[in-house]
Amino acid sequence: MIQDNYIVAGIAIAAIMTYLTRIMPFLFFRKKEPNKTVKYIEYNMPVMIMVVLVFYALKDVTWEVYPYGMAEIISIMVTIFLHLRFQNALLSIFAATLTYMVLVQEVF
Amino acid sequence: MNFFSIFKLTIPVLMGYIPLGMAFGLLLSNLMIPWYYAFFMSAFIFAGAGQFLLLALFATQATILEIAVATFLLNLRHTFYGLSLISTLKDFSWKKHYIIFGLTDETFALLKTAQIDDKDREKVYLTITALNQFYWILGSVLGAILGQALPFNYKGIEFSLTALFIVLSIELYKKSKLHKPFLIAVIIGFVGMVSFPGDKMLILSLGLCAMVLILFKKALNDTR
Repeated sequence: MIQDNYIVAGIAIAAIMTYLTRIMPFLFFRKKEPNKTVKYIEYNMPVMIMVVLVFYALKDVTWEVYPYGMAEIISIMVTIFLHLRFQNALLSIFAATLTYMVLVQEVF
Repeated sequence: MNFFSIFKLTIPVLMGYIPLGMAFGLLLSNLMIPWYYAFFMSAFIFAGAGQFLLLALFATQATILEIAVATFLLNLRHTFYGLSLISTLKDFSWKKHYIIFGLTDETFALLKTAQIDDKDREKVYLTITALNQFYWILGSVLGAILGQALPFNYKGIEFSLTALFIVLSIELYKKSKLHKPFLIAVIIGFVGMVSFPGDKMLILSLGLCAMVLILFKKALNDTR
């Protein structure tokens, strides 16, 4: 069971940090234009963060013992295939999650 | 613009937020977190990927500092949205703070693409943001209550987080002009996954990404 005050503190800090990312440009760049480096980082960092998060979400998979992360690999391929094919984010997420649930509950 | 025509604009977000919010709520109740926290999270944080990430961090009992850094970095992309709204929101009243608070990926996309007369821009922006947040809260609370009430084997539902990140990676990659940052992040992410200590993996990998991005700015800016 996760502690109540831990959850409350976590929600509070996440709320503050999220709001901060949204208010920042209005605080810093009200008068002057952001410089090139700021723009460059803001432009390129999101995709890097997202990719790292994919691996972060997979960090607890045990690749060296059976089933060698096969459920994850198959579901990742399903996600990528569906998304490139249909470009419908919800479809990709739901079909992939369902695939994964069936794999870990019934197959492996 | 009357309420109904604004509502029509938000239907795509409704179709997205209800199911995705429900997935979030189900995941939350799967972690044995009471349903009302789904409400608080969606009311006070209001960030899709950010809230999923918070659940993942809760599950691994991450420290408050880690939650702060990871949330900040993940949502940093929202800064980019604000930048392109500065001049539009300049003439709005104090109510603009709610619009800024609610600047999710989907809300931003709607605000930027909708055809709106300048005279009722503020009202339309506020209504769009409020409707979107309403859908998100509704979806997440529904999912959380459903997860608590219906004893179903939800094992594996956490993959929705991985799938969400994969989908967003593909979307962002397609939009970006540079390809090297994506490839570098794949390498760093992979190395981080197999060799960094689990509890510091996110911070170390993201720090490394930022460092490479800044140190090799010239080489990276050189397209292909």
